[in-house]
Amino acid sequence: MEAYRQEIIIGAVVIYMVFCVLTGLWAMKRTKSSSDFFIAGRSLGPIVVSLALFSSTLSGFGFVGGPGLVYSIGVSSFWMIVISSSGYALGFFLVAKRIRMIAELRNCISLPDIVAARYNSEAVRFLTAITIVLGVMGYLATQILAMAVVMQAIMSGTEMFADIGLVTCVVISSTVLIFYCVTGGIIASVYTDVVQGGIMMVAGVLILLTAMSVFDGGLQEATSIILADDSESMMPFGAAGMMASLGWFFVFGLGLAGQPHLVTKMMMNRKISDNRSILPMSLFGYVMAALLWVSIGVIMRAAVIDGVVPTLNLPDDAASVFLSVFTNPLLAGIVFAGLFAAIMSTSDAFLNIGTAAIIHDIPKAINGKSIQNELFWARIVTVILAIIAASFALYSHFQDATLVAILGAFGWATFAASIFPVLGIGLNWKGATAMGAVTAITAALIINFVVQLAGITLPYGISGGLISFITSLVLFIGVSLATKKPELDDDMETVLSI
Amino acid sequence: MGNKLIYVIFAIVISMACILIAISFAEPVANAGGIAHPDIPGMRVGGDGIARLAHIGTLAFLFQSLLLLLVVCLCALGVAERHRSKELFLYFAGTFIFSILVWWQMYAGHQAFMESGTTSYFMGFPVATSWQVYGTWLSAIPLVFIYSMGFRKFIFTKEDEEKFNQLIAKQTSQTEQ
Repeated sequence: MEAYRQEIIIGAVVIYMVFCVLTGLWAMKRTKSSSDFFIAGRSLGPIVVSLALFSSTLSGFGFVGGPGLVYSIGVSSFWMIVISSSGYALGFFLVAKRIRMIAELRNCISLPDIVAARYNSEAVRFLTAITIVLGVMGYLATQILAMAVVMQAIMSGTEMFADIGLVTCVVISSTVLIFYCVTGGIIASVYTDVVQGGIMMVAGVLILLTAMSVFDGGLQEATSIILADDSESMMPFGAAGMMASLGWFFVFGLGLAGQPHLVTKMMMNRKISDNRSILPMSLFGYVMAALLWVSIGVIMRAAVIDGVVPTLNLPDDAASVFLSVFTNPLLAGIVFAGLFAAIMSTSDAFLNIGTAAIIHDIPKAINGKSIQNELFWARIVTVILAIIAASFALYSHFQDATLVAILGAFGWATFAASIFPVLGIGLNWKGATAMGAVTAITAALIINFVVQLAGITLPYGISGGLISFITSLVLFIGVSLATKKPELDDDMETVLSI
Repeated sequence: MGNKLIYVIFAIVISMACILIAISFAEPVANAGGIAHPDIPGMRVGGDGIARLAHIGTLAFLFQSLLLLLVVCLCALGVAERHRSKELFLYFAGTFIFSILVWWQMYAGHQAFMESGTTSYFMGFPVATSWQVYGTWLSAIPLVFIYSMGFRKFIFTKEDEEKFNQLIAKQTSQTEQ
């Protein structure tokens, strides 16, 4: 079996991709309107929503960038995972019920629709839509790049494709992604998410079991090796330090409720009462899948320090090297399919919300109405958006070898700082004003972009994302308190009281 | 307390911002954000933990304590005002105390390790890191229980559902007219 390792892995990935294409074709028959395309007609059951929610959370960032971060900075990056229980709980307490109610009441099909209804403001809609488009570009590019890097790692292991280029891999993987997103919209997306979520959970558990057997002394031996090399790396704040770690807790924990690709899924369930089961199921799935992040990262760092495997070219190679060195071919095949699943499940969600922002929300904010024949244009724009993101991914890769993970974190932080106050607090506080929302989003965008683009380094590992998030929270509440309390429409007044 | 919650949240966020400013102006430490591994490219190390926390340890501890309080307060904000009962606040208070205990165990465990240089292990990780990996995650699980088990009591009661259905019915009839 070992002799056919690459063929088995490629076979698993091809089977998975064929499944995605078939799902796209099946879903195309069920996609008859823009509501079907963007929010699946609010008809999904709790299991489907749970799996879609967690699989979209744990993207290529989790499966490629995550282990790479543990390899690079040790325990610091665990903070992005251990906040999942707080993050999911906050998301459900603050957003799940009311976003679903407003979606049904005002027939909303996107997140900007929701905030426009809440604040009765087209300016807030416009800014939210712009934030989504900007964030989606960075995030989607990250996902596409991750997908291509993994594919290149797999294909180059065979004689036939030994010299395959990254550009070719971007084209192949993006084509499959575009196909099922264009044909089946969000319906294809969530049903592929179900299988993707299942694969990710199985992969997480199997990888943990494999990781435990790499060293005779199991996980404890691996952590002891890291501790002996540099104790801080294996202590709670890792190599990146206390403030970087706590910043991630803040940005990733609170920020989950501000991620548009996740909260949009909270609009899709059939019944509001399903939320009580969706929360624990999503969290359980996330934890199972995240085992991969922790176990591969720790084992690879220990293995390199101990000389079991040679130094990695890049930290992001941790997952692919682990799979090729330590797992049997069948498991490697499942996990590689899981990797693609993780990446694609997030990418399709981003393509969907990005498209909605471009063809539905921005025109509506500017002209007061959305464009004619939304479904047709949704499909066209999905293709264009994916091509632009893929180009951006290649440019980033060849011009600037920044870690995939950092790009992903930037996208997350932008959404967290811009959208969390407006949505998470705004849906639960009648005193929140449109002026507060506009100020918070604008400040968050400016700070995030300036810090990132100017390469500003803050002391003690404090991230720009943390600064922008706290600033936007202060501004949102402060400006809302300072401006006149808004007069809400009767239906919105009732929804915010329920 | 219920209708003043936003002021409490605002006060917490302002306090966190002030702490962040104080940390930013604290005496800088060379390797506070980690340094490159001396032998392995692509890997970073933390170096001297005591030095890294010398000027900001207490402030950072306070920052995280406030963050844990913020999480609980935000969850309370997500509950409709009339459902914010004493019972609910008791549950939230219990969750907060539990999460603070976990946070203290982690912080104190780290301090103890830095002083002694030795540690025992729990489920594969040094004890302080175990508090982080398992404890932090578990400390918010009560929130999940409050949401799921208390859904019909605090989040979306039968009366809430009835009220919402009436709203939808009213809107539908208006649209049809």
